[in-house]
Amino acid sequence: MLYVVLFFLIFSLYLYVVLGGADYGAGIVELFSSEENQKITKKTIYRVMGPVWEANHIWIIILIVILWIAFPAYYNILVVNLHIPLTIVLLGVTLRGVAFVFRHYDAVIDNSQKLYDAMFKISSLITPIFLGMVFGGLISGKIKMVEDVSTISFYEAFINPWLNVFSILVGLFFAALCAFLSSVLLIGESEERKENIYVRKATIATIVVFITGLLTFIYGYIGEYVFVKDFIKNPYAIIAMIVSGLLLIPLWLTIKSGRRVLSRFFAGLQVFLILLAALISHFPYVIITETKQVSLLENIAPDSVIKTLGISLIIGGAVILPGLFHLLKSFKMIKILEQHNNPSD
Amino acid sequence: MENLDAARLQMAFTLIFHIVFACIGMVMPFFMVVSHYKWLKTKDQLYLTLTKAWQKGVAIFFVTGAVSGTALSFELGLLWPEFMKHAGPIIGMPFSLEGAAFFVEAIALGFYLYGWGKLPEKFHWFTGIIIGLSGVASGILVVAANGWMNAPSGFDYIDGQFLNIDPVKAMLNPGWFTQALHMTLAAFASTGFAVAGIHAYQVYKGRKVALHTKAFKIAITFGAIAALLQPISGDISAKDIAERQPVKLAAMEAHYNTEKGAPLYLGGIVNPETQEVTYKIAIPGMLSFLAFGDFDAEVKGLNDFPEDERPNVPIVHYAFQIMVGIGGLLMLAGLLYFISLKKKKWFTKSRYWLFFVLLAPMGFIALEAGWIVTEVGRQPWIIHKIMRTKDAVTPMPGIVFSFYTYIVVYLTLSIAVTWLMIRQIKVLNAKNN
Repeated sequence: MLYVVLFFLIFSLYLYVVLGGADYGAGIVELFSSEENQKITKKTIYRVMGPVWEANHIWIIILIVILWIAFPAYYNILVVNLHIPLTIVLLGVTLRGVAFVFRHYDAVIDNSQKLYDAMFKISSLITPIFLGMVFGGLISGKIKMVEDVSTISFYEAFINPWLNVFSILVGLFFAALCAFLSSVLLIGESEERKENIYVRKATIATIVVFITGLLTFIYGYIGEYVFVKDFIKNPYAIIAMIVSGLLLIPLWLTIKSGRRVLSRFFAGLQVFLILLAALISHFPYVIITETKQVSLLENIAPDSVIKTLGISLIIGGAVILPGLFHLLKSFKMIKILEQHNNPSD
Repeated sequence: MENLDAARLQMAFTLIFHIVFACIGMVMPFFMVVSHYKWLKTKDQLYLTLTKAWQKGVAIFFVTGAVSGTALSFELGLLWPEFMKHAGPIIGMPFSLEGAAFFVEAIALGFYLYGWGKLPEKFHWFTGIIIGLSGVASGILVVAANGWMNAPSGFDYIDGQFLNIDPVKAMLNPGWFTQALHMTLAAFASTGFAVAGIHAYQVYKGRKVALHTKAFKIAITFGAIAALLQPISGDISAKDIAERQPVKLAAMEAHYNTEKGAPLYLGGIVNPETQEVTYKIAIPGMLSFLAFGDFDAEVKGLNDFPEDERPNVPIVHYAFQIMVGIGGLLMLAGLLYFISLKKKKWFTKSRYWLFFVLLAPMGFIALEAGWIVTEVGRQPWIIHKIMRTKDAVTPMPGIVFSFYTYIVVYLTLSIAVTWLMIRQIKVLNAKNN
C-alpha cells in the first residue's frame, strides 16, 4: 500500500505542477503581454481554464493531505521551517482565485476590472515563485534542525532556509516553467486565431526556463550544494534532462504543424522528466538540511494508516479521474462542435 | 500578544470566515437545483433567471470557500504543527475523503456552470444535484475530524505515544454524528434564512416582486424545515456532551457547583471571580432534565474539575445563550412561514417581509456562536484530555503579524464579496423579464 500512496503523492504533485502550473502560467503570460493581447488572453484563459481551473488547484490539497497523513515528520519540517513562504503562497492562491472569479462573474463591467486583472496577474506570478522557493528551500541545505528553535536566531530558523539565492533561482525557474506550459496550452486556443502571440511567448519562456535552470545549476555547483552535486553525478537524472531538452524538437514540429494535443503531450512529458530528474537524483532523501538528509520514508505513519489511506485514494481516484477526464474531454468536444457549426467563428 | 493567543485568534478568525462561505457554497446549490427543476417543469422564465442568478452566487461562494479552505488545510499545520504531527495520520481519513468529495464538487460545478445549452438537459440538472450532495458530504467529513478532537478515539495513548491507530474508528468517533447532524441543519437554516432575507428585502422594497417571492419561498422552505428540526438535534448534542465533556456543558450553563436537580439558566451575567450568575432566569431541574432526561439527575459543576482544565466560562456561556436564543427565534419564524402559506394575505403586508429581512443575519450569528461553544468549550485541550493547545502551537514567533495580515485580507475579501452580491442583485432587478 505504501507504493499506492507514493504513487498518488507523486501523481498529484505532477498534476499540480502541470495543471496548476499552466493555470499560474496563464496569468504570467497575460502579465507580460501588450494591452491588446492581454484582452485576447483574458478571454482565452476564461474559455480554456474556466471549467477546469478549480479542479486544477485541488491537487495541492490532495498533495498536502497525503503528506500530513502518511509522512507527518516530513510535513512537520515543511510547515515549521517554511511557514513564511507557505503563508505567502496561500495569500497568493486566495487573491488569485478570488480575482479570477471576480473578473468573470462581476455583474457590472467597469473600472474595477482593472483592479481584478492586476490582482490576478500579479498573484499569478508571485505565487509560483514562492512555491518554487519552498521547493528550493527543502533542498537548499539551509534548514537547521534543532531541538529548540529559540536557541537560534529567527533569521537562521525561518528566513534563511528560503530567502537565499539558490531558492530564489528555483522559484524563478518554476515560474518560467509555468509560463512555458501555459503558452503551449494557449497556442491555437484564442478565438482571434492569434497563435503567434503564444508561439512567441512559448519561445521566450523556453529560453527563460533554460537560463534560470542553468543559473541554478551553476550557482549550486559553485556553492557546493549537496543537491546539485548529487544531481550531476546521477546518470538517470542527466539522461532525463537531456531527453527533456531534446523533446523541444518534436514539440516545435507539432506546434508548427498545428497538432495541438500532441504538442501539449510533449510539453507535459518534458515537465514530467524534469520533475523525475529532480526526484530520482535524491530519492527518498527529499529534504536536505544543514546537517542531515531527511528521507521521505523515515518516520512514516503506521501501517494501518497507510493501508486505509491507500484504499481511500484508490476509491477516490476511481470516482474522480473518470469525472475529470470526462470534464476535460466534453468541453474540448463541445468546442470542436461549435466551430463546426459556426465556420465564421 | 502571546504567540499562542495570536495563533488561536488567527485560527478562529479564518474559521469564522470560512464557515460562512463554506455553508453558503454547500447549501445554495440546493436552492439552485430546485429553481432549475421548476424551470424545466413549468418553463416559467422567472425560474431560469433566478437559477442563473443563483449559480453566479454559487460560483463566487464556492471559490471563496475553496480558497479559504485551502488556506485552512495549510494553517492546521502552519499554526499547530505538533498537533498535526500526531493527529494528522489518525484523522487523515475524513480529510482524504473530504478532498475526494470536494474534487467531485469542483468537477460537477465545472459541468454545471459551463454546461448550459451544451449538455443534455437532465444530465446538466443532475450535475447540480452532485454539487449539493458532495458539498454536504465534504462538510460532514470535516466535522467528523473536528468531532475527533472532542471525542478522540481510534488509538491507544501510552506514554505520550499514539499507538494501535485505527483510522476508521477515529473517523467514526463518538462525536461525529451529533456534530455533523447539528452542523448540517445549521448550515441549511442559516443559509436559508440569509438568502430568504435578502430576497425579502427586495420584495419589501417592491423590486421585481414576483421573482423575489419565488426566490424567497425556495430558500425559506429549506431554512424553516432545518430550523424546526434543529432543537431535536440540539437535544441529542446536549445529552452527548453531558456524558463526554461534562466540563463543557458546565461552562455552557455557567454551572459552578455540582448539584442534583440542577436549574437551567437563561441569559445572565457571569462573574467568574465570585462564580455568580446575575440577571438570569432559572428554570428548576431543567438542566438535569435536558442533560440526562431526569429532573433529579446530578449535573457536575465546574468546581469539580481542576482549574487548569476549564474553558473560559463567560465566553462559552454567552455564546451558548446566543445560539439557543436565536435557534428558538428561527424555529418560530419557520412556523410562521408555514402558517403564512395558509394565510395568503400576509404576503402583501410589508411587516411580514421586514420581519424576514431582520432575520437574515441571525442564522449565521447562531452558527458562529455554536462553533465558539464547541471550540472555546474544548479548551485548554486541542485533543480532549490528550494534548493541550499550548503544546501544539508552532515554535515560530511573531504569529501576530500573520494574524494581522489575515485580518486585512479576509476583511477586504468579505467587503468585496458583499459588494459583488449587491451588484448582482441590482443587475438582476434591472433586467427586463
